[in-house]
Amino acid sequence: MSDSIDLGLHVVDRQLIDSEGRRCGKVDDLALEGGAGEVLEVVAILSGPGVWRARAGLVGRLAAWIGGGGRVRIPWECVAEVRAHVKLRKRAEELGLGRGDDRLRPLLEKIPGSDR
Amino acid sequence: MKIFQVALGILAAIGGFVDIGDLVFNVSAGATFGYQLLWVVVIGVVGIVVYSEMCGRVAAVSGKAVFDAVRERVGFKSGLAVLVASQVVNLMTLTAEIGGVAICLQLLSGLAYRWLIVVAGAALLVVVWVTAFEWIERIFGYGGLCLLVFAVAAVKLHPGWGAVGHGFVPHLEMKSPLLYAYFAVGLLGAALTPYEVYFYSSGGVEEGWGPKDLRLNKVNAMIGYGLGGFLSFALMIVGGALFLGKGIEPEFLGSIALGAEVPLGQIGLLLALVGILFAVSGAAIDTLFSGAYNLAQFLGWEWGRYRTPRGAPRFTITWLVLLVLALGVVMTGVDPVQLTEYAVIFSAVALPLTYIPILLVANDRSYMREYVNGRLANTLGLIYLIVILFIALTAIPLLILTNAGQN
Repeated sequence: MSDSIDLGLHVVDRQLIDSEGRRCGKVDDLALEGGAGEVLEVVAILSGPGVWRARAGLVGRLAAWIGGGGRVRIPWECVAEVRAHVKLRKRAEELGLGRGDDRLRPLLEKIPGSDR
Repeated sequence: MKIFQVALGILAAIGGFVDIGDLVFNVSAGATFGYQLLWVVVIGVVGIVVYSEMCGRVAAVSGKAVFDAVRERVGFKSGLAVLVASQVVNLMTLTAEIGGVAICLQLLSGLAYRWLIVVAGAALLVVVWVTAFEWIERIFGYGGLCLLVFAVAAVKLHPGWGAVGHGFVPHLEMKSPLLYAYFAVGLLGAALTPYEVYFYSSGGVEEGWGPKDLRLNKVNAMIGYGLGGFLSFALMIVGGALFLGKGIEPEFLGSIALGAEVPLGQIGLLLALVGILFAVSGAAIDTLFSGAYNLAQFLGWEWGRYRTPRGAPRFTITWLVLLVLALGVVMTGVDPVQLTEYAVIFSAVALPLTYIPILLVANDRSYMREYVNGRLANTLGLIYLIVILFIALTAIPLLILTNAGQN
């Protein structure tokens, strides 16, 4: 395989996996930088319901509203590897990812057998 | 040891193949058209083998389950439409299965149906919460094997084997072509129910399948679903031998169990009811998880049936909410058998949404490397795509024209 990748096909919508192997969101969009005539550079991955607004019109806005509208910016330097999944160099908590799961965990921990 | 494990897995798959949709459509098709629609079951079973194998291969090679693939191939916006449609159909199926569990409990205990819905819901909840998944699979898979009583019943009823053989030859029926087409679409919809591939592919990812497991995947899909298809034949033959021409429509799960009681007596009835109970409960659990898999995969949440509830909180909450929703719908008093018919027909409409992205991914070298679809898988995949598109387009018109198979 060559070193270049098709961002639209091979990065956007992929699963994000943190440094400990935890699933922690999807690549909902990319942030690009570069002025007119310059080479565009990917600077960050955008993830979270807030990003859906720009991707799916009215439906996206509705989904974003239901999802709480949060968005997380992950600097491209934190990406370890882009293969079947996008692996990150840091833990989800450090990047602000997977907060939905973290918020609900204490609730489930109250129910006996949640850690069987 | 390995062969032993594979054999156990296959046994569980046979017991787990039949759900309420197969029970209702196979027996009613037999009661209405005798053995004439057996050939359609063959087409349906080959179809589910083809697409399960494909989904299992995608999972093994790329580590992606169905809704990972759907989102990556069709994007967020169209993917969301696929997700919503799939979740609606999946919830209908789940509701029908839970209603079926309650009916079985009622027939076995004689208690009031309304209370047994609550019992069924609570029992499913407790079983899923406290039991390790490998045990859930075994308990319900092996329990479902009691359905083999229908194979014995089919033989004992001495059907005209010539007529049975003729049923395997594809043909049309001229007297009531619309009704015939309705049952054909229903049988295909029941055999190809999408939750089976959601569950199967997610299972492959969870078991950590890799390219070395591709042979296991092929064997599982072919033998598990293939032999499961035999149960469908048996159900249709029993329906035909017992109910055809007698004006009896097996509108109740109880009359399906009657199919085993008439030739085999009380023990036949008991085995049939226990088999139906386990098969339908197992299917309820599969659909429950499928709904949670789909949402979690689409949104990138942590998921997995082997994870503890605290290991995958949003996934756990999702299946809890789905269970409560389905119980609420059953409690309204909707007839589970009728709901089953609608669930199967609507899932027929949603089939292309699931299977087209899978076919695309299985052909994509950037995902599949040297394991892309071969000529056989693609030929069959394309033929079935046409079949699926055809039934998706005709399902609703047929439902309306035949008044859901009533005339």
